[in-house]
Amino acid sequence: MKRGLIARMLPDEAFSARLDRVRSALAERDLPALLVYTDVWRSNQGRFLTNFMPYWNRSLIVIPREGKPTLLCALSPRVYPWIKSVTILEDIRPASKLIASLEQLCGERGWSKLGVLDLPKLPVEIFSGLGAREIVDVPSEGIAYPDEEEFSTRQVAVSQARITLEHWLGRVPENVGGLEREYRRGAAEDVVIRVKRREDGAYSVQVALELGGHWVKVTRATGPAEELTALREKFHEMLATGAGYRENLAGPQPYEPGTGRIFFLQVEHNGLYRGDTCGSGEHPL
Amino acid sequence: MVSRKRFSVSQSFSVSQINQHRRGQLVELMADRHWDSILLYGQGWRKDYFRSLVNVNYCGPYAAAHLTRSGELTVLVTDPWDCDLLAGADAAVNYTADFCSALPRASAIAGLELMETRFLNGASSVSGPASATAELEELRRVKTLEEIECLRAAASLADCGYQHFADSIQLGMHEFELVAEVEGFLKSNGAEDNFMLIASGGTEVVGMKPPTERELQHGDSVITELTPCVNGYYAQICRTAVLGEPSKAQLESFAIFKEAQQAAQDLIKPGVRASDVARAQNDVFRKYGYGDYTGAKYTRVRGHCLGLFPDETPHILEDVDYVLKENMVVIAHPNTYLPLAGYMVFGDSTLITASGNELLNKAERKLFVKEI
Repeated sequence: MKRGLIARMLPDEAFSARLDRVRSALAERDLPALLVYTDVWRSNQGRFLTNFMPYWNRSLIVIPREGKPTLLCALSPRVYPWIKSVTILEDIRPASKLIASLEQLCGERGWSKLGVLDLPKLPVEIFSGLGAREIVDVPSEGIAYPDEEEFSTRQVAVSQARITLEHWLGRVPENVGGLEREYRRGAAEDVVIRVKRREDGAYSVQVALELGGHWVKVTRATGPAEELTALREKFHEMLATGAGYRENLAGPQPYEPGTGRIFFLQVEHNGLYRGDTCGSGEHPL
Repeated sequence: MVSRKRFSVSQSFSVSQINQHRRGQLVELMADRHWDSILLYGQGWRKDYFRSLVNVNYCGPYAAAHLTRSGELTVLVTDPWDCDLLAGADAAVNYTADFCSALPRASAIAGLELMETRFLNGASSVSGPASATAELEELRRVKTLEEIECLRAAASLADCGYQHFADSIQLGMHEFELVAEVEGFLKSNGAEDNFMLIASGGTEVVGMKPPTERELQHGDSVITELTPCVNGYYAQICRTAVLGEPSKAQLESFAIFKEAQQAAQDLIKPGVRASDVARAQNDVFRKYGYGDYTGAKYTRVRGHCLGLFPDETPHILEDVDYVLKENMVVIAHPNTYLPLAGYMVFGDSTLITASGNELLNKAERKLFVKEI
């Protein structure tokens, strides 16, 4: 769960450009607004567009074609000043009942239809509450999609993940907490550390790290040098050929099986694993 | 004075991968509702529905447990390493990279409301699945002996974690650095996860949130809600510490919180309503003229249940008409803002016993003070 430092890694201008892309997409589809779902786990898209990432609960971000975004927020109004300090959001409305609050907003604005970012991924409860209004799926590709700033910030995150893991690798099985402390001292919001052991005592450590809302994953192993060399070579071979186990890191949630323009590739050799966050094309990360 | 009492750190212990008691409950539920099968859906935020039957800490984005009325269990995971967690389990275990296609159909789904809409086509029966969320949540509220042991271990770890929190507080430390210390400590001592909020300062503090870059200052109230997870089960402790000698206002304020919490603690037993537990706390604030600070403007809830999710329902609120039962685990916390010294927190995980209740936390019930 997010419980580390929630901070901003980008200036307002970067978010303005992203919101402009949303408004263009809305204009192309003749939609008055876009609905973006976000929760404590699935916060990539809300973070990409507004830097909002709830530390608890869930919220809806409504981006109108004209005007500033509105956050329908299930968190207490007491934390709105903090939300404003770490996001570009200015209009925050209490919304313990998300759908009712959305209805009210749509009614106020006279919206008879609404775009939903990645509609098939919307939770059933939210989807079923959208009612008779015309709902249009707006795929995230081209909107909440990696841009230059996204690649740059992921690069910062993955560099931190790699350097810290490689420094701590020899101490990890007995000191997972120490590694987590190190990442959190470095301002990580969330960390998931897993260890997979081989019978001879060699092991692999996988770290999923969230820094500034940017998730990256890295896996490194200990073991005989020749095996680690073979593992590294296999990784690069599979990266080049498109093979190997892959997870999409550019979707709504931190990671899921599949691939994307930012992805996690992990390969196995003799029970040892190597994995890294990779970017497609000109962004190798 | 800072307490120097040390709590022994509980060791994580193994629990059953499959909760056979729950399996039996669900089979009975299916027979009662004429459901052929039930699906327990899990994702990254809400693992609890899945883990109430299959108690492994999966790390893939999704997991599902499919149970038929005849008791056959199939588990679907979405990260290859998650299969290792279920080695030897009394269930068929499958890894899939295509969760949507692999999801079995079911008559009812627990966690349906959170499920991504695209998954429904795969998971639904012809007439559409019923929601089993409320039914499963009710089954989960009364804990088994094994579940209570997990909660005891989590509460013990919360005690140790809080002591580490209090010991680690330093002038000039950033809030997020303090959280890093505690998170590292908890993970080193067997926590799978932890839910933690924090705040520091004085009367300007109106609530808790994730840590910021604020530096701790002399006279600050440093408040935290610490909720470590052991074997899937979350126990919570809420305490307030003062950096330096507490002011008269801080002492006066904390005395009200302590009296309010004790009023709830004295009341909690089987048969008591959640609304009465909330009212007992709020009445103390009203007695001192602070009734305005018991509502939604200044506070969220006066407590909640604990278990596989750190904020289980029913919530302890004056409008929640739920009768508490033996072997539920709850926390009553009168956490709120008061103009005396800002937001304060105080509360302990509590097991409801046949005749009353038992505090699972053993940390001292006091205003902690960090000498400088």
